[in-house]
Amino acid sequence: MTKSPNWPQGGFHLPMSRRRLLQAGTVLAGAGVLSSAASPLWAATFEEVGDQWTSADIDWKSQSGKTIVLNAVQHPWTDAITPLIPLFTELTGITVDVQTQSETEYTAELPVKLGAKSASPDVYMVWAIGQAITAGWLENLDGYYANSELSDASWWDGDDLFPSARSFQKWSDGVRYLMPITAESQVMFMNQTMLDSKGLSAPSTMEELMETAVALKSDDVAGIAMRAKSSGDSTWPAGGFIFSYGGAIIDLDGKNVINSPEAVAAIEMYGGLLNKAGPVGISSYQWVECLNDYMAEAIAMGCDSSNFATDIANPDKSQAAGHTTYGTIPKAGSNPIKPNMWHWTAGINSNSANKEAAWLFLQWAVSKPTCLLSSAAGLATPRASAWASDGFQKRFGKQAADTALASLKAGDGDLFKATWFHPKGPQILDAFGIAVNQVATGAMDAKSAMDAAAAKIDADLG
Amino acid sequence: MISPAARDRRRFVLLMLAPATVLLIGLTLVPFIVSVLFSLSNFSLITPDDFAFSWFENYGKMFDSPEFWNALRITVIFTIAAVAVELVLGVGIAALLHFETRAVPFLRLVYLLPLAITPVAAVFTFRIMLNPSLGIFNYMLKQVGLPPQDWLGTPGMALATLVVVDAWQWTPFIMLIAAGGLAAMDEEPLEAAQMDGAGPITSFFHHSLPMLFPYLAVAVVFRSIDAFKTFDIIFVLTGGGPGIATRTLNLLAYKQGIEFLSMGYAAALAIVMLIITIIASQAFLRRINLFRPKAAL
Repeated sequence: MTKSPNWPQGGFHLPMSRRRLLQAGTVLAGAGVLSSAASPLWAATFEEVGDQWTSADIDWKSQSGKTIVLNAVQHPWTDAITPLIPLFTELTGITVDVQTQSETEYTAELPVKLGAKSASPDVYMVWAIGQAITAGWLENLDGYYANSELSDASWWDGDDLFPSARSFQKWSDGVRYLMPITAESQVMFMNQTMLDSKGLSAPSTMEELMETAVALKSDDVAGIAMRAKSSGDSTWPAGGFIFSYGGAIIDLDGKNVINSPEAVAAIEMYGGLLNKAGPVGISSYQWVECLNDYMAEAIAMGCDSSNFATDIANPDKSQAAGHTTYGTIPKAGSNPIKPNMWHWTAGINSNSANKEAAWLFLQWAVSKPTCLLSSAAGLATPRASAWASDGFQKRFGKQAADTALASLKAGDGDLFKATWFHPKGPQILDAFGIAVNQVATGAMDAKSAMDAAAAKIDADLG
Repeated sequence: MISPAARDRRRFVLLMLAPATVLLIGLTLVPFIVSVLFSLSNFSLITPDDFAFSWFENYGKMFDSPEFWNALRITVIFTIAAVAVELVLGVGIAALLHFETRAVPFLRLVYLLPLAITPVAAVFTFRIMLNPSLGIFNYMLKQVGLPPQDWLGTPGMALATLVVVDAWQWTPFIMLIAAGGLAAMDEEPLEAAQMDGAGPITSFFHHSLPMLFPYLAVAVVFRSIDAFKTFDIIFVLTGGGPGIATRTLNLLAYKQGIEFLSMGYAAALAIVMLIITIIASQAFLRRINLFRPKAAL
């Protein structure tokens, strides 16, 4: 049953009972009052919101007195969930020690810790899923879902998670190792004032995108910016281009097809856009440069994560606030659009001594009430009910939220997983990122760059 | 027969040396031996249970890899360019600041500041300043009517920019050592040369610079070893790009070890870096006869 044409396909259900909806509304209304008094939404007390968790048939106090360590990246999820943790502690009696690091530090330190079979952290944000599962660093969660003392399936309402999020949970063996904690998809964002000043409209095909980007480029403003740094960062948006051209990086049979005609055409377009209409210095652009330049109105269009919407809509940060139009990735020929998508996930360390407590935390963090609270702070959670909430729509922007949902619906999780969940995903993405960079800077043509990437990937895959 | 006093003294010496020895063994020798063993194995954090010695397979793979030779070439170019720039600027600034005026103490402090700043923080600031659209460097170019530059966008420009940033940070180190050398220098021959009519430039090149040589040699060895394993500047500014134009050996080792979790291969890279450093520095020190007694020269 679908309540909105934009929700992801398959399995969307009316997310909340009337009673729950009223409770949530009360929380949000209370939060609104509190935030209007310059207090954050997270100022909600346990007395106000606690019954939304206690109503579950879960023995929340079963692990009382334990302390778990959460390792997290500096990320909007961490910012949104940390202020809510006192509510979890009050609910369960479990203390959570949140240890946050920059993504670079995090990805450098945690593999060494986990590789040494350290029992800490108990819960962590998973950055390279294929590596983590292959190395045995993640606990199988299926048993916890099935444990009636620690879980309540009807309260949990798994169907409220986006289908792509449910797909992310599972590895190729069908086992759930991961808990999705965010949802984002690849969207176009366009400065409507700049489009209007040139009498242009939002592009709906790749050819139109090229024409529009070139027409918008001037001495002061670039037509478009997308990630192009060779460190692998560019692979996510460039991957969406390949999928939308009908190609793949690693196909569903596990074959390296990065130099297929479809993939080459996609990267020719991606690199060509940046080459012809991108800003000077596109070679070193990561997502942060794309976002900052767009908010400073130094670029007219971008194609990146839907999560940018929260910052773009913030007039304190963004000059483009209030006149940004969102759209899905343009169509390439007759191929269906397949924008890229991503769910940050968290999992339980397989060597943790506090697995049950860690499970309670994960379950609480992605439960409907928690997602409702964190989404009102602008966090794009993996739950449809939170996306439908007024608090989230207000913070994120309705058009941005609708577009992001449409893109999530159109994304192909299996194609994404074939590459990004691959045990040698980092090696594959490294070669791909170098190719994208070389095409974007004009150092190589798309065919040669993708052939070189294919050869390197073949060598890495053995 | 050892006297009790000598025995006590020996015991005392051993006791005093013990902490440093334990630390040296624990923090340097053991990790080094473990690294050597890893480099001879197929050790991967993804499949730690499949650990097996593959002996020189990692080294063979490395020497067959064009990526390794490219990284070595870039590392050597970066090291030579950065140290050369730092040497010229450091000695020049030290020489200028040697003549005490009222402004010199203040200038000395200002020139030393880059050394005191946390490298990563400084490099992030450079990243913002080098931003082609919003950075201060291109803004200044525009103000004087010059076109904006893609500081990190082409292989040559990216490498040159990295050298400049490294020089900004480390020139004060050379300056400090050169200034120390100048301050310790015997002034009498200099005064004699000046009395014979030598100007300041002639005096500097024919008297001060040769006398500074041992100090600068030490500085060059220190800086070369450090520049050879530079990581933070390159990682933050270019990530090894564009393409792989600035992917140095250290960055390659990081990729292999931290991103790909191929610890055996990364350890082999690190060992090769260590061997290159030892051979190059020993060859340099022998070539300049730094440690030979002056009487023997």
